[in-house]
Amino acid sequence: MNKIVVEGLKYKYPLSETLALDNISFSVKEGEFIGIIGRNSAGKSTLCQAIVGLVPHFYKGAYGGKVLVDGLEVKTHSIADISLKAGMVFQNPFTQVTGSKMTVYEEIAFGLENIGVPRTEMINRIDEVLHLFKIEHVKDHNPFDLSGGQMQRMAIASIIAMKPEIILLDEPTSQLDPGGSEEVFQAVQSLKNQGITILMAEHKMEKVAQYCDKVLLLESGKVVDYDTPEVVFSRNDLDVFGVTAPVYTKVCQALGVKKKGADTYPVTLKEAEAALKEMRR
Amino acid sequence: MIKVKNLSFSYKQNPQVLSDIQLEFDQRSTAIIGQNGAGKTTFVKLLKGLLKPNAGQIVVKGQVIKEQTAAELSRTIGLVFQNPNDQIFKRSVLEEVMFGPLNIKMEKSEAKEKAIEALRLVGLEHQLDINPHDLSLSEKKLLCIASVIAMDTDIIIFDEPTIAQDSNGKEKIRRIIRTLKEKGKLVMTIIHDMDFVAENFERTIVFNQGRVLADGPTREVFSQKQELLRAKVEPPYITQLADKLGIPGTILTIDEFIAKYHSVK
Amino acid sequence: MKSISLYVNRNSFVHDVDPITKLIYIAFAILVPIIVPSFTISFICVGISLVLLAFAKVLRKTVPVFSFVFLVLITVVIIQGLFKPENETVLFQLGPITMYQEGLLFALTITLRVLTIVSAFMILVLTTKPSELVESLVRKGMSPSIGYMIVSVFQIIPEMMAAVSTITDAQRARGMETEGSFFVRFKAFLPLMGPVVLGALINTKERAMALEVRGFNSQVQKTYLYEEKTYAYSRLIRALLLLAIAGALVWRILS
Ligand SMILES: Nc1ncnc2c1ncn2[C@@H]1O[C@H](COP(=O)(O)OP(=O)(O)OP(=O)(O)O)[C@@H](O)[C@H]1O
Ligand SMILES: Nc1ncnc2c1ncn2[C@@H]1O[C@H](COP(=O)(O)OP(=O)(O)OP(=O)(O)O)[C@@H](O)[C@H]1O
Ligand SMILES: [Mg+2]
Ligand SMILES: [Mg+2]
Repeated sequence: MNKIVVEGLKYKYPLSETLALDNISFSVKEGEFIGIIGRNSAGKSTLCQAIVGLVPHFYKGAYGGKVLVDGLEVKTHSIADISLKAGMVFQNPFTQVTGSKMTVYEEIAFGLENIGVPRTEMINRIDEVLHLFKIEHVKDHNPFDLSGGQMQRMAIASIIAMKPEIILLDEPTSQLDPGGSEEVFQAVQSLKNQGITILMAEHKMEKVAQYCDKVLLLESGKVVDYDTPEVVFSRNDLDVFGVTAPVYTKVCQALGVKKKGADTYPVTLKEAEAALKEMRR
Repeated sequence: MIKVKNLSFSYKQNPQVLSDIQLEFDQRSTAIIGQNGAGKTTFVKLLKGLLKPNAGQIVVKGQVIKEQTAAELSRTIGLVFQNPNDQIFKRSVLEEVMFGPLNIKMEKSEAKEKAIEALRLVGLEHQLDINPHDLSLSEKKLLCIASVIAMDTDIIIFDEPTIAQDSNGKEKIRRIIRTLKEKGKLVMTIIHDMDFVAENFERTIVFNQGRVLADGPTREVFSQKQELLRAKVEPPYITQLADKLGIPGTILTIDEFIAKYHSVK
Repeated sequence: MKSISLYVNRNSFVHDVDPITKLIYIAFAILVPIIVPSFTISFICVGISLVLLAFAKVLRKTVPVFSFVFLVLITVVIIQGLFKPENETVLFQLGPITMYQEGLLFALTITLRVLTIVSAFMILVLTTKPSELVESLVRKGMSPSIGYMIVSVFQIIPEMMAAVSTITDAQRARGMETEGSFFVRFKAFLPLMGPVVLGALINTKERAMALEVRGFNSQVQKTYLYEEKTYAYSRLIRALLLLAIAGALVWRILS
């Protein structure tokens, strides 16, 4: 079943001359994990915001086409309605603290209070995400007195605790240590396995290749490609779109090693290892 | 250029963030890596004189920094903040970059020249009159880098410069780091991108829970797998692949990999 | 950014009393001395507040506030005592200075009024988390948006202070002298105001988006992380306070 349908979406920010999103169409099935890639200013964040309704309701501006989120048309529903279905983690962790709570613990509770989660369940969920993202030891800190990475973990935890059916993550691991990024991707994968639909804008191609079902490649607000990581990262014109393939793919491309029995290159550590070992024999 | 002796620090009455750090920095380009909350940002803020140590001493170019104000120290050390919103406060891109040079008593024309040169390095030279708050996150970060480069200090510290950058932006930062190094400056960078560390830094320091867990030439540090694991960092992807294939030594770049791959075969 | 609040976390029965009761107490402490204009009543009100503050173990925290208030009030006493137009009865003379009874009494009334109000408010501010106060009002039916606004107002000063320190760091990091003599610091202070205000405005916008996606405006019935504080005797206390106010009114009308 299609959880998100985007049809001919066009959008222009107020005061801007060019389209930030230009005739975008794609659909996402329930439980899919989609990676959104593309150079800076390609439109990744704008697209994410168009799915939670900040575009156009918050920003205003010129809007055309249609976005359906679990059957709700974004244009005719309020952000509040959509927020019950889709949650979003923003790009800059420093600017998404509500400012009305005194501790990390209460900050995470904020969203849960608003959507009416009963108290005992609320506490369970908060404890769970604090543990999942390893921020238990700072739970009584003021939300502003955190390191960059801890703040980003809190931002992700705050949304995941709300358990929306659709989660949008805008470069959620930019300030995380490698262990932390891996934990976030694994957490996302386990959510995906529970049937939650996920879209993530990300520059870490190795992780996108390993975890995403499909990759949406954007350039100047247009969809260039929407396919499996193997197919997208095997393109030989990626640099035209300001994107580089995962390290593993680059090595294999340089050595001319393709996946066994396929016309695509390896994109993950495992695949590259297998293909390169195969070559050596 | 910098000597750090028995440095300890905590925020207010909280537990210690840094305990008894001993470090010396020379001209080698240096990466600082480690777990979130390990104390990396706190450490560089102390070097920069923005925080005051609870114990210990920092000597920069022969001078104890306790005896200088942060403003005086800014002629020697530049710091690009982790959160660009904390660094930006002027109303146009050009004014923002000229702020530092003007404060260290540069002539207005010279300051402007320096500013535009720095903005050219990061690719923002066509947006001089834009309000910095209208830039995207990646551009704000580049603006912060330009503001610090324009001051032409001998020591430059970047706190996670590659946040939000695409491959092109990372390439710009790579070039900037190389240029600064060629000019004989000490470049120190806090960063979580291990492949970037492997390709660009001679020395790597691993922080863990307020202490230095490992320190040495980058290749050596990335060969200490146990230590890395404990600090929640991992070897670069290319190093991991080389390991899986049993290529001996510690591979740091794609080029090294390709050369070794053929020879091992 | 950090946040500072005047709230002092202690264990005491005053802390346990719910915010609404404290609000009613403030109404009591303000209204009764106005309705019954007698020094004794005012003294009693201040006395009760001080005793409560002492029980809450926050008396020390009131010193800076009271000192400031006294500073202001002493000027009032002097000015009124010396120069109030109705001054007739000489109280005492100190060289060329003459202190009059009318002015002094008037100033004393004002002083007591202010003290009753300040000390009653201090009980609320020092022993109640702002969020707790707002939460209990929201539970009573106030709109969450207004609630959020009130919390933000509580936070404005701490946030401004945090913004000032952030920008100061940015400035001294790039060579502007902000430490040292009073003059240097004063000179550095003025150019701060623009960026602080602008920064606050931009924050507001980004924060609004963060609130939206966290369901802030959703129509669903809200729940709360903390259970509503129910102090065993709060009904009794409220009733007594309201009774006292009513009693004062009756006394006033009858006499
Ligand atoms: N608030 C805004 N007002 C006007 N234009 C905007 C605004 N936000 C983004 N834009 C413009 O819309 C386009 C798409 O921006 P967007 O932030 O979606 O890109 P992105 O792919 O997320 O980039 P990045 O990798 O830097 O995060 C850009 O040209 C950008 O300048
Ligand atoms: N202003 C503050 N007040 C109190 N504690 C703080 C403050 N800033 C940081 N801390 C705490 O100090 C510790 C070290 O923080 P620091 O910012 O130095 O970490 P970091 O190594 O830079 O982490 P990251 O990779 O996440 O940026 C953390 O546990 C953090 O919670
Ligand atoms: Mg973006
Ligand atoms: Mg940091």
